[in-house]
Amino acid sequence: MAFQPSKQVYSGQIREVTLGVGDKAVVIGGKAAYPFHSFEGSIPHPPKVAMEIWDKDPTEDWCAAAKEPFKDVLADPAAWAKKCVSEFGAEILVVQTKSADPNADNRPADQVAETVKKIVEAVDVPVVVWGVANHEKDTEVMRAVAEKCTGKRLALSPVEDGDYKQIGAACLGYQHIVVSSSPIDVNLAKQLNILLGNLGVNSKDIVIDPTTGGLGYGLEYSYSVMERIVQAALTQEDEKLQQPIIANVGNEVWKSKEANLSAEDAPQLGDPTQRAILMECITAVDLLLAGADVVTLRHPESVKRIKGFIQKMM
Amino acid sequence: MMYLIGENLNIMSVTYGKALKEKNAKPLQQLAIQQAEAGMDWIDLNIGPSGKIGEELMAWLVPVVHEVVDLPLALDTSNIKAIAAGLKAHKKCRPLINSIMVRPERMEALLPLAKEYDADFVALLWGPEGMPRDENERGALCSELVYKAESEFGIAPDRMYVDPIQTPVSVQQGQIMSCLEFMKMLQDIAPGCRSTIGLSNVSNGPPDHLRPILNQVMLIILKRHGLYSAIVDCFDKKLHDIAKDKHPELEAVVHKVEDGEAIDESKLSKEELDYVKTAKVILGHKLFSESWLEV
Repeated sequence: MAFQPSKQVYSGQIREVTLGVGDKAVVIGGKAAYPFHSFEGSIPHPPKVAMEIWDKDPTEDWCAAAKEPFKDVLADPAAWAKKCVSEFGAEILVVQTKSADPNADNRPADQVAETVKKIVEAVDVPVVVWGVANHEKDTEVMRAVAEKCTGKRLALSPVEDGDYKQIGAACLGYQHIVVSSSPIDVNLAKQLNILLGNLGVNSKDIVIDPTTGGLGYGLEYSYSVMERIVQAALTQEDEKLQQPIIANVGNEVWKSKEANLSAEDAPQLGDPTQRAILMECITAVDLLLAGADVVTLRHPESVKRIKGFIQKMM
Repeated sequence: MMYLIGENLNIMSVTYGKALKEKNAKPLQQLAIQQAEAGMDWIDLNIGPSGKIGEELMAWLVPVVHEVVDLPLALDTSNIKAIAAGLKAHKKCRPLINSIMVRPERMEALLPLAKEYDADFVALLWGPEGMPRDENERGALCSELVYKAESEFGIAPDRMYVDPIQTPVSVQQGQIMSCLEFMKMLQDIAPGCRSTIGLSNVSNGPPDHLRPILNQVMLIILKRHGLYSAIVDCFDKKLHDIAKDKHPELEAVVHKVEDGEAIDESKLSKEELDYVKTAKVILGHKLFSESWLEV
């Protein structure tokens, strides 16, 4: 008898969510099989690689390896955004609104939103706006961003249990996508999507952020919860979890101690640039295998490698 | 029919915790009377670890409660001296030690006391490495404790109340399945042993008004798996009625879910439908979320 490989039976499908508008709008999700299991079911849209930029000059915060590729544009978010798209092939742009952080610069919401607007106008790829996970400040910033960029179908993140009503309403009112964010817990991820549904947010406008832990900092937990979400969505017909997933990889990896140690500080850890890029790539590959539909990266070399990985896997 | 242990006399409670610390007998005695009237078969006395005052507190509390009720008491503390003091003070019927873990130092200290006072005890399946990961680890821990109690101390199986550990549906649904699998094996592993469980932990996490139905459905499922007794909320009348076989219709509908039978939801009452939805999340047919009754 010929060998019969076992075949996973699927009963559900991830919804398609369209980010952005116009020719460069990007559709994510849609898969009806486990990540890269195209031999078992349809995967209409390969996972996408997003690049992150900050809305403020990160010179003080970033290590040399992270700054090097962007050294001419770090002080100009719009130019930085353009460079990511035209030179490094970013398919989606993530703006981290670090300047809004109440524990640091605490820039007023309307100024933050003005910068975001300039970035959105500078590029034609979809934009995700990632806040600082402070409910009050994110609510102010996201409301202002939503209004200034009406109809652009930005994705606003993170939308959490504590601010989903405010930010969710802003997304509803100004036609944006909600990034539903929960603390590495499949039950809470489901619950937040139910609450967003009760608020009136269409399931075509929800992306899940299950919270990303970088390599050595909880990656395995993020992996497990993503895997669990995808299993529930595809094999348990859990329609509240049939949403695409985004993983904010670069931001998590590059803030770790190991990604920032210089060759002098840690000679035993090898070349600092390669080390950080590898940490970013390993985190991204793992989360893609777990089910992420978008990974957000910082370094252009990581972008190149992860795009190559996805291409080979599809 | 299941036996019930009332859990409400607890150091963590705002009212009774305060009464315990102040040694104010009145509210504790009122609660004991309420528990007896509610049909509890034991009253759990949870004084926490209680450090240096534990011994004196338990020695005071047991006669205070026995002044107003005749029920056996469950001495619920990790404080060995407090257990010993409680056993000594317990003059009515047979006390229940809650609990003896499957850890060498706990077994060595507490099994001799169980033997000396001819007490019942909760055999808590919590090992040297903490919580068992599946039904097989539960089985191994159970054999170890039961074997030691019988062979070294000559304790009869029906003195032992094996507790397979209830986990919350909101965080560890998979462990509920392991617990149920273990219950299927219990009488093979430890013939004649009894069993109990801290039932309310299944609903730990969700808001208070949603807890009773989780507890009730969990009890129905455990009851079918042969659970002998459970540590429960003494104020949940519905739960007690289920334990005493007064809701066969609700048990039947939960059993149907468990057996994977087709259920025509349009023919169910609102209550039966809620029981079906709850059984599905407890048994992992559907993923739990706090809005499980609304979706």
